[in-house]
Amino acid sequence: MRLKTVLSGVMYEFKDLNEVMAKANEEKSGDRLAGLAAATVTEMIAAKEVLAGVTLAEIRNNPAVPYEQDEVTRLDQDRVNEKIYAELKNLTVGEFREWLLCHETSGDDISRASHGLTAEMVAAVAKLMSNLDLIYAARKIKIIAHCNTTIGEEGVLAFRLQPNHTTDDLDGIRISTFEGLSYGSGDALIGLNPVNDTVESLSNILKMFQEIKETYQIPTQNCVLGHVTTQMEAVQKGAPADMIFQSIAGSEKGNTAFGLSASVLAEAHDLMLKEGTATGPNVMYFETGQGAELSSDAHHGVDQVTMEARCYGFARHYNPFLVNTVVGFIGPEYLYDSRQVIRAGLEDLFMGKLSGISMGVDACYTNHMKADQNDIENLAVLLTSAGCNYLITVPQGDDIMLNYQSLGYHEASALRELLGKKPIPAFAAWLEKMGIYENGRLSRIAGDASIFFG
Amino acid sequence: MREQVLSVGIDIGTTTTQLVFSQLTLENTASLVTVPRIEIIDKEVIYRSAIHFTPLRSQNEIDDHSIRSLIEREYQAAGITPQQVQTGAVIITGEAARKQNAEAVLRALSGLAGEFVVATAGPTLEGIIAGKGAGAGVESKKRGATVVNLDVGGGTTNIAVFKNGEVIDTACLDIGGRLIRFNNQGTIDYVADKVASLARALNLNIATGQRYDQTVVDAIVRRMVGILEEVLGLVPATSELAMLLTDHDLRRDYKIDYVSFSGGVADCLFSCGNSDPLQYGDIGKLLGEAITGSKLMQNIQTLTAIETIRATVVGAGSHTTNISGSTITVAPGVLPLQNIPVLKLSTEDEALPLDAWGDAIRKKVQWFNLDGEKQNLALAFKGPENLGFDEVRVLAEAIVQGMEEVLCKTCPLIVVIERDLAKVLGQTLRNRLGFAKDVICIDTIRVANGDYIDIGHELAAGNVVPVIVKTLVFNY
Amino acid sequence: MVESEINIKKIIAEVLAEMGHDVPASSAQGEVAAVDDSPLVDLTTEDLKKQLLVPEPANRDAYLNYKDATVSRIGIWRSGSRYKTSAFLRFRADHAIAQDAVFNDVSSDFLKEWGLFEVKTKCTDKDQFLTRPDLGRELDDENIALLKKNCNERAKVQIYVTDGLSSTAVEKNARDTFLAMEQGLKGHGIEVGAPFFLRYGRVPAMDAIADVLHPEVTVALIGERPGLATAESMSCYMAYNAHGGMPEANRTVLSNIHRGGTPAVEAGAHIADVIKMMLEQKASGLELKK
Repeated sequence: MRLKTVLSGVMYEFKDLNEVMAKANEEKSGDRLAGLAAATVTEMIAAKEVLAGVTLAEIRNNPAVPYEQDEVTRLDQDRVNEKIYAELKNLTVGEFREWLLCHETSGDDISRASHGLTAEMVAAVAKLMSNLDLIYAARKIKIIAHCNTTIGEEGVLAFRLQPNHTTDDLDGIRISTFEGLSYGSGDALIGLNPVNDTVESLSNILKMFQEIKETYQIPTQNCVLGHVTTQMEAVQKGAPADMIFQSIAGSEKGNTAFGLSASVLAEAHDLMLKEGTATGPNVMYFETGQGAELSSDAHHGVDQVTMEARCYGFARHYNPFLVNTVVGFIGPEYLYDSRQVIRAGLEDLFMGKLSGISMGVDACYTNHMKADQNDIENLAVLLTSAGCNYLITVPQGDDIMLNYQSLGYHEASALRELLGKKPIPAFAAWLEKMGIYENGRLSRIAGDASIFFG
Repeated sequence: MREQVLSVGIDIGTTTTQLVFSQLTLENTASLVTVPRIEIIDKEVIYRSAIHFTPLRSQNEIDDHSIRSLIEREYQAAGITPQQVQTGAVIITGEAARKQNAEAVLRALSGLAGEFVVATAGPTLEGIIAGKGAGAGVESKKRGATVVNLDVGGGTTNIAVFKNGEVIDTACLDIGGRLIRFNNQGTIDYVADKVASLARALNLNIATGQRYDQTVVDAIVRRMVGILEEVLGLVPATSELAMLLTDHDLRRDYKIDYVSFSGGVADCLFSCGNSDPLQYGDIGKLLGEAITGSKLMQNIQTLTAIETIRATVVGAGSHTTNISGSTITVAPGVLPLQNIPVLKLSTEDEALPLDAWGDAIRKKVQWFNLDGEKQNLALAFKGPENLGFDEVRVLAEAIVQGMEEVLCKTCPLIVVIERDLAKVLGQTLRNRLGFAKDVICIDTIRVANGDYIDIGHELAAGNVVPVIVKTLVFNY
Repeated sequence: MVESEINIKKIIAEVLAEMGHDVPASSAQGEVAAVDDSPLVDLTTEDLKKQLLVPEPANRDAYLNYKDATVSRIGIWRSGSRYKTSAFLRFRADHAIAQDAVFNDVSSDFLKEWGLFEVKTKCTDKDQFLTRPDLGRELDDENIALLKKNCNERAKVQIYVTDGLSSTAVEKNARDTFLAMEQGLKGHGIEVGAPFFLRYGRVPAMDAIADVLHPEVTVALIGERPGLATAESMSCYMAYNAHGGMPEANRTVLSNIHRGGTPAVEAGAHIADVIKMMLEQKASGLELKK
């Protein structure tokens, strides 16, 4: 493996693959906070040049966190289809990039290749891509999953309806849910982040979601995003959940900090196939975000893009219906401004799709970041162009519980209209039946949540 | 974090006497990292007594001994002792409230029913309690609608109008199923005075000792229902409406979306035609039948009440107790306090600068003519928004100046506020009074002038107190 | 002016008058448009819970009733698939207020008026504070010396104020909370050490402070990361026997202190009782029994 290069007469030498990977990243404040970032832009380009010459086999043989130390590495390595890997292993990262982008390579080709890839290969090629490259390659890949309905089909853009409330007040959650539905959001999921992570509270909210789904015959799926163990207990006690959710990290240590392990997730997955209310087979939901591992000191000296790719390698093990990065949530110490958030959003979508998972994005930002709603609207258009399976929406983009801004319910129909996308077909038919959509777009009464009160 | 509170409801009505026990569940619904917010999250009726005829000694007197033993038997049957009961209400309703010994009966029973149980009477509160028990309050909130509940009992019809869950109007009429009664031979046993007057106005003749005359009785019953149509504004009001109103009329300046019926007569809706209309020896079934065919049900959408004959007793057991805010000031060993009259500052008073509140309070305290060492009152106000600490001190000073007459006595200083302010104001008052005076300062409770309040023992580790507001005059 | 034009102007004036708008002064004489002196409306003061922009809702009462249960931006209607202008402007205004709360510094006037002396973490400016949480937890020698000089060591209760992620929250609430807290503690016979202000402080800075001053209970009033609903929310972090490396679980937190949440004075009164409990039990955080 060549670990050094000359650029503009200056010699750059890196001590190992992890250093090359970290320094090849586009600038991120989190890599800087971790002391891993390239000191100059020239050094970054030097690292990219070195990375372009590394083969996929060399990457496989040098996982970011050693196999013996980390179950995320083990799961990822053990899952690789050796025949497919053998077809790819002699490609350099630079060649692999060109293979992904060239006209002769179809989405199906990429999906096949994905079975021969490890997370570090996925991360490596993302580092050699421009923003438009990321969009261009991601757009080719189609990932379809089924819970109660089917997500990811051609021409479909789905939305999670996120009716969060500061105290989990059921009336407040209900009106926010109705409001979202009245704008055509909620086909990916009606999913709430609870304040109170108790079995009782989760059960009450799940029951209300189920009641709403049944009363209005809504073809969608529900979930309350408590801790995985709380959700499991609620389901065991009879709460109606279509999916189980968990935030995950790219290292075993990071997952331990989240209070979980591979076996807990496997148990949750089995439980949902037996006791969940959904048809399946995809009954899991995960959230990720660049920087999460560093915040719990679980990054093993590895950059945040690579750790993020490892989340997707971990997630795919459980055949999730939904995985999304909460891209601007974690704060300016990890993604400093809108430029870094937009870059990270595109990287994450591309890496998720290349990892073979049904990928969405929570395009968002906090108020201590140098970003605003314009930036996040930009990102949403880019993500839609890149074939994102779903995006997250809250009332006018203002999440009153998590105190951050995401996309608004209005954006669901605006983005679909603008870029020629449709809701999940069964949900689209329901919207027409309810009179919320007329001829594929918002009707005269759309946006009036009180139609649900009769 | 949960706490169960046992509540009793006892309803002594014109015709029937009933009891229920309800379990109220309190829980801190705030997240762990905020100030607690303890609320009633569930109300469940865990015991319903049989429906007993109200024992009377004569037409004008309730048989207090029989009632007492009847209630004692129900406690035994439920396996509950008065000591276990933490809150609730004994309510004497309708015509029964006008019996000579009603007050004495209430006093005797409230002791039996538990230490902190309200004894009360009055048509305004009755109507509200019955409407809540019938579910009209909850439905109006759920539907975002105006729901009127008619509790048609033996002696009176109590009306409460709810809009979005809040009571907006009340009225009471002398219309009920047992205002004319018959014996086995079909002879009239009893005619209430108001009914006799109504008959005279209709040029009809009805008196005790007469034989049952279907034409006459039907005409009177139809007229009663006609007056109910008048009170809801479905037909123009006549002078006979005024005659049957026990107190004030409905305002009728709002649109009614739904109507629900509770009380014994509500069980007679739809039920007639296939059995003896005089089965119960009164006009209840006839009244029910007449309501079914009237504009009351034809012109307004009807909601089925969740409780009918038990609406009042369930309301008394489950819907009378409020919980104070969770940051309050309560001097130890002072509670419970009962029947405290409320002095509520007016909107104009509250608009005054804080240092002028003292005079406003002093003037109003004088109206109460507080004689006797024990005679107390509760100072109530909405409270200014977003007070700074310096302003809290000015307010405390004004209260101390204004409440001088109360502060000279041994009884505690009681302050009831709507806005979340009671802990800091209570502490400031205690500080100002040199920690020498018992202070009860509670919030998140809305009261009006003319109300009486009862404040029970501390619950949820002293964070909250139960409060029962007895609305005697409706003036929100 | 031709007659039809005059008529049209008249009609427009009538319609505007009916709509409650002022009729613009005629510009027939070629005057510049008159300055509008009508009273100004602050769009950030409108109570969103009571605002329903849906023109003909199927059930207005139910809508408003349910809206009352949440501060979410609901019932805001649309133009096509986009927002109404007023809702759009309100959102941007609330975001601007939130950003100001983060990026502006607590003013020296505020500190002077209260009489607080100031110490600083190792952060040199706001930008570093936002990107280097590690530096926002530490004090340098100069600031340690300042603390030692101005405060008594081993106070029963040491309270300090720190900007955290909202300077606005601190300026709006900290003083009222402190005074109510101080009164409550005095009522319990508990003395309070001299308060001070810590600039560029993160929550764990309280451990560094406790390592210098060794109070029995350390209390930090700190600005929370603002949301759009409010940029004024303050938290109170408390720990019994705080020290470097103490478990996070030993901190007691009380958040949501602002005029729309727990009012500053009421929070202070409540905190006084919580501190008393800590001193009695010699514990805080998860170890504190309620």
